[in-house]
Amino acid sequence: MSALLEARGLRRRFGRVQALDGADFDVSAGEVVALIGDNGAGKSTLVKALTGNLDLDEGEVLFEGTPVTFHTPQDASRAGIEVVHQDLALAPHLDAAQNMYLGREVMRSGLLGRLGFMDTPRMRQEAAQAFTDLGSAVRSVVTPVGSMSGGQKQSVAIARAVAWADKVLFLDEPTAALGVVQTRNVLDMVKRVRDRGLGVVLISHSMPHVLEVADRIQVLRLGKRVATYPGKGTSVEELVGAMTGALEIKEGAA
Amino acid sequence: MSTTTTSDRPASGIETKATHDSLADRVRAMQSVWILGVLVVIVAIFGVMQPSTFLTTGNLTNIAQNVSIWAVLAVGMTFVIITAGIDLSVGSVLVVSSVVAAKVMESMGDTGWGTALVGLVLSVVVGVFWGGLNGLLVAKAKVPPLIVTLGTLSVALGSAQILTGGLDIRSAPRVLQDSIGYGRLAGVPAITLIALVIVVIGGVILHRTRFGRYTYAIGSNEVSARRVGINVDRKLVEIYAFSGFLAGVAGILSLAQYGTTTIAGQSLTNLNVIAAVVIGGTSIFGGQGSMFGSMVGLFIPAVLQAGFVIIGVSPYWQTVAVGSILIAAVYVDQHRRAAAVRAG
Amino acid sequence: MRSTLRSTAAVLGAALALAACSSGAPSADSSGDSGGSDNKTIAFVQGVAGDEFYITMQCGIEEKAKELGYTVTTQGPQKFDPTLQKPIVDSVTASKPAALLVAPTDVQAMQAPLEQAAAAGIKVVLVDTTVNDPSFAVSQISSDNIGGGKAAFEAIQEAKPDGGKVLVISTDPGISTVDARVDGFEEATKGDSSFTYLGVQYSHNDPATAANLVSAALQKDPDIVGIFATNLFAAEGSATGVRQAGAKDVTIVGFDAGPNQIKALQDGTVQALVAQQPSTIGMDGVEQADAALTGGSVEKEIQTGFTIITKDNLSGEGGDAAYKSTC
Repeated sequence: MSALLEARGLRRRFGRVQALDGADFDVSAGEVVALIGDNGAGKSTLVKALTGNLDLDEGEVLFEGTPVTFHTPQDASRAGIEVVHQDLALAPHLDAAQNMYLGREVMRSGLLGRLGFMDTPRMRQEAAQAFTDLGSAVRSVVTPVGSMSGGQKQSVAIARAVAWADKVLFLDEPTAALGVVQTRNVLDMVKRVRDRGLGVVLISHSMPHVLEVADRIQVLRLGKRVATYPGKGTSVEELVGAMTGALEIKEGAA
Repeated sequence: MSTTTTSDRPASGIETKATHDSLADRVRAMQSVWILGVLVVIVAIFGVMQPSTFLTTGNLTNIAQNVSIWAVLAVGMTFVIITAGIDLSVGSVLVVSSVVAAKVMESMGDTGWGTALVGLVLSVVVGVFWGGLNGLLVAKAKVPPLIVTLGTLSVALGSAQILTGGLDIRSAPRVLQDSIGYGRLAGVPAITLIALVIVVIGGVILHRTRFGRYTYAIGSNEVSARRVGINVDRKLVEIYAFSGFLAGVAGILSLAQYGTTTIAGQSLTNLNVIAAVVIGGTSIFGGQGSMFGSMVGLFIPAVLQAGFVIIGVSPYWQTVAVGSILIAAVYVDQHRRAAAVRAG
Repeated sequence: MRSTLRSTAAVLGAALALAACSSGAPSADSSGDSGGSDNKTIAFVQGVAGDEFYITMQCGIEEKAKELGYTVTTQGPQKFDPTLQKPIVDSVTASKPAALLVAPTDVQAMQAPLEQAAAAGIKVVLVDTTVNDPSFAVSQISSDNIGGGKAAFEAIQEAKPDGGKVLVISTDPGISTVDARVDGFEEATKGDSSFTYLGVQYSHNDPATAANLVSAALQKDPDIVGIFATNLFAAEGSATGVRQAGAKDVTIVGFDAGPNQIKALQDGTVQALVAQQPSTIGMDGVEQADAALTGGSVEKEIQTGFTIITKDNLSGEGGDAAYKSTC
């Protein structure tokens, strides 16, 4: 299976810090790839580089096998790549449907649409459908997001990203601030997104969560991919070992 | 584990219809509904105290007529405050728009509808210019709106004084004064009808169109609005220009109502309009508010003042009352919101 | 929801408490009689609330009204601003007093609202200021403002017999009384070639603006010998401006005689004051309203005189002419 999105030898230096030092990465359609690494290993820089938020000093990004350059997040978005940032970027006063369609409103047909009128019933209906399909915990698409629980907010953000991403979805620490039940729900959503054939990239510090949903786990250390593990049969100790460098593994050993 | 059923599991049916889909329900569900209750009770109290004078159609139409110009300005102010901005310049922009219009109409000599129309167009153009300038400075130069509009408040007023040498122009076309300023349609002041049309259009734009949606989004979370690809800077320019546009319209309405450019007047217009919008439940922190609320908020001080004058309360107490209501309204509103978040 | 109700009740309670504060002031005739002979209510709408000139006028009105058996309600806008005064006049009209004594804040803007009051059967008396076409009013009472301007110039002449440059600090253009004072002053300067008239600056009723204008004018023309400040705020500001500029030998003649001007006069910052007779204006206003209501003979126009107050007559005639901040 050829990679859907692939990075080869990415380099980026910030002043004296070599944030990416020849980093490789790949994710294929229909799999969850976890991207792990200690703080400062270059995870966020790598994600930024892959989603049009950062220019590279060196290296190439391939999308569906062809080299691409995303200059802006909108470029990546157009290619079908979306990111759910840790801060979720939701407008708290708007409801779930409004957030989901923010910036991409469905307009009424005909003259009214050209005058700027939105097709609110349709957006609500489709949002509700999307939440149901993803098994989201959101129970109302007409309640302001600001009054929702952390898990519900996360699921709104994921549903929004999925609604626009048909290729790759990046999730930055989606379970960081969630309780047990909410985490469960979000991880279930991640699996459903994968089952739709998207490539999902999960950035997380939580090894149990990573081991539960990831098909493959790629470990970054000092700006480089140092190991790739299968999700099944890998232990937390192995992952921690690879992250900290206590365990030296050759790339591709898995 | 994945079969555990909890309250956080997806519900079989997701609520897609707000309980507020009919107009009555929507009004009931609005944050500002309690303040409508306050207005109704105030009207009732004055009505009981002075039924023969307060509850007359003459008095009520007077009140409506006297808030008409403010209502037009409040439409723009509601948009601006929802973006977490403020527009202190509306009174001055109103004055400078009416000055330019009056000057040109005066030079045209005749006082018919053609002249009035030219005046309206000019007034609106001047208003959009100042509003657009506010927007550019806020969005592009990143100067805080409070400072920008405080500055344009002075500059616009100064321009009006330069243009006129400080002398009010008192030659508004007769048709403007007769048919708009003091004309009536089925007993309702024409100026009030015009304001009502503008308010309804403003409300529809705010609550039904993408432009309105982006207004809320910018005020609610500007960063997220930018991330989803909304051209926030451009929207801000448009929103401030819209406020200026309405100040231009108000400039012509003011000419029609007062027959003069009121250069020395309109001194408290900006603050009165802001107070009305805030009393109506629009949050100065952005993201929240409604056109309906702003209109209710406009009537509370107006009704209080009219009622107090009629029952003979000293003018000092009127100011105290309006100020107290402003603070109380915002306090209660915040209280309600905190409670709503806890419940949610 | 309960807390909302409680808060709503609290807001209303506050409003009611304020309404109750009106108990001292008699309310409009609740019989709703629109101007019949049994309606003994006079409404007074000031140009701006809290100004000693209008308070003194109010005192005169209340004194005369009591004598003639009327009750008075007084209202005034927060600023001298027609957009704020019009709603008040409209509400007063709705309350149907027998007579309305009013100081219009704009000759044009207040025309229609006051015509409307007159059309509702209310006897309208214009006090101090007027409107473009006052034909609807039963009477107009004001100071002879042109004469007041002349008097101000005479006060400067007396202090500076050698002549020199003189300046006028006015409030806003378009206020009939103030414009007349300025005209009277300008006319008088033309009669004496030893004086140079520098023109008029507008302070927009703001003492700080007046102070800035005066100190700037003194930068440009340090040899200004006299300043005529056409009202209360302009005079207060001019005095400040002269002090700011460090000028010594400038004669400031103020118009009006509020407590602050009297103090400025005592301090020597202002050398003379042209005091109007607001109390007399008020009394005359009530008399004319009464005459109109009872079918007596009404004088269409009355002009009242002035008192020049200087340090010398402050303890006597001048002191009596000073305005009051309470009755």
